[in-house]
Amino acid sequence: MPATTQRGAALAAALTMLALAGAVWQPHDPDAVDLLLRHAAPSLSHPLGTDHLGRDLASRMLVAAWRTGLVVVIVGAIGLAGGSVLGTVAAILGGWRERLILRTAELFIVVPTLVWALTAAALFGLSPLTAGAALGLAGVGPYALFANALTHRVLGQPFVLAAAALGAARLRLMLRHVLPNTLPLIFAYVGSQAGQSVIAYASLAFIGLGADPSKPDWGSMLYEYRMFVFDHPMLAIWPGLAIAAVTWTLNRAFDPPGEAARPAPRRLRPAGGLSRGRRRPT
Amino acid sequence: MLRNACAIGLRAAASLLAVSALAFLVIAFMPSDPVMIAIRAWNLPADPATIAGLRAQWGLDSPLPARYLRWLAGFVTGDWGRSFRTGEPVLDEFAARLPLSLAIGLGGLVLACLAAIPIGFAAALRPDGPADRASRLLAVAVQAVPAFWLGLVLVWVLGVKLRVIQPFSGGPSIVLLAAFLVALHSTGMFARVYRRDLIEQCAQPHFRTALAKGLDRRRALWRHGHRGAVYAMLSAVRSEAGWAIGTTAALEVLFGLPGISQFLVQSIGDRDFFVLQAYVMVVAVWMLAVNATVEAAVGRLDPRWRGNRP
Repeated sequence: MPATTQRGAALAAALTMLALAGAVWQPHDPDAVDLLLRHAAPSLSHPLGTDHLGRDLASRMLVAAWRTGLVVVIVGAIGLAGGSVLGTVAAILGGWRERLILRTAELFIVVPTLVWALTAAALFGLSPLTAGAALGLAGVGPYALFANALTHRVLGQPFVLAAAALGAARLRLMLRHVLPNTLPLIFAYVGSQAGQSVIAYASLAFIGLGADPSKPDWGSMLYEYRMFVFDHPMLAIWPGLAIAAVTWTLNRAFDPPGEAARPAPRRLRPAGGLSRGRRRPT
Repeated sequence: MLRNACAIGLRAAASLLAVSALAFLVIAFMPSDPVMIAIRAWNLPADPATIAGLRAQWGLDSPLPARYLRWLAGFVTGDWGRSFRTGEPVLDEFAARLPLSLAIGLGGLVLACLAAIPIGFAAALRPDGPADRASRLLAVAVQAVPAFWLGLVLVWVLGVKLRVIQPFSGGPSIVLLAAFLVALHSTGMFARVYRRDLIEQCAQPHFRTALAKGLDRRRALWRHGHRGAVYAMLSAVRSEAGWAIGTTAALEVLFGLPGISQFLVQSIGDRDFFVLQAYVMVVAVWMLAVNATVEAAVGRLDPRWRGNRP
């Protein structure tokens, strides 16, 4: 097991380096068209070959890696901040205000994240910023519900009751006693969904609403190159492998094998009043 | 039981209403005006008379609340408005496209449920055996790979190398392939959930009693674990229902299948208000229907759960 963990960490480090490198440096200009060099085979100068316009595939992949990395970070940050704040605030407020927040959060589950993001992409154009913001905001609902349930559980713990009995102010109680206990779990939950945000962003770019065709993304590259799958399949294989490597690494980092395919706290609370989870002795 | 069904129905209707109002608001405030887009697309003169005429024809001249109420009344009575782009009633457009999308999405989910049970059962029978490893690998692999990419690779393998299917033909083999791709993602997930629940049951007293009575592990698992594991799996169907929509949408675009998601992609650029609104409603109804079905099925399968109802 340690050996595989090490290998996973090395892969994660390599992918991060590649994504960061993609932000500042590429071997060639990713948009430089060279029609004499169409569909060039891999060589020292073009490690992954070139596409149908003679653009360097490796450079395009690097830029796309950086853009995907941005999306993952933005989606995670919004999910973590929005989910924990909304869930915790709802738990503190209690009463009808808590119910209002939770119902609103449930509302966002009824329409899937991707549909919100598709609409947002059509409105504001598809860029890592808009896609990240849309995917993040649309995904806050489940996080808020999760954070809320978690906060309630911690609020019932003896040490919190003791702190409250000692007269700790509400804000202090939250910052000092509740959040340190809930945040790691919320972080793990948000992280376990990070792999899905990579795939969601790839799907958005593939569907291509509002996308800027001059900017390479793994999803849009797959859409662009799908027609060459008959003669030059590698063009479509590389972006797919990149998506798979990143998603796999993220999934593994937050959801080590041996655990369930998805973490247990995932409890989709549907809006149709079906909020009771399955109760069973374990 | 009936009262419960009524309560669930009422709350579902309430969330539908809330979703519809939210969607109507978002859609109405979208930047760029459908009238101007249409005038450009149809090369109409951009004079005030034409603009006002189109506005009146599409019902965009009244204030927002009135428009919403008119749309709502129409929606309930089966008049979903007319598409700005095609001029046809939106309901007809959706009725023509929905069966295809449902065949892919729902077909995929059903296929996944059916496939997950034998796989998960074999995995639980011998933890860490070959079946268990294979199903874990499947779950990890399909989660890391977007379905549309797998579809592209399969088109290459099946269409180019083996020449079994005609890619991009839109024929039944492509629809089947799409449903299979939707199923693949969910199968991995369902099989793992099903297996985990079976394994959990092994530690329960009733299971040990069954073993002590002389049942072998296979029969004890099937007779005493299977039912419980199925409703654990059904709960996972809920979270997969949303994912299936996204996968179906990407596959419709990949294979050029005329489903509702492809229609949405074509309509969104023209700001086709009623089509967008109808799409959101169809998706919301789908999510609520899956939830209600799962809930009803779980209630039937698990008497303990029924006992918990107020």
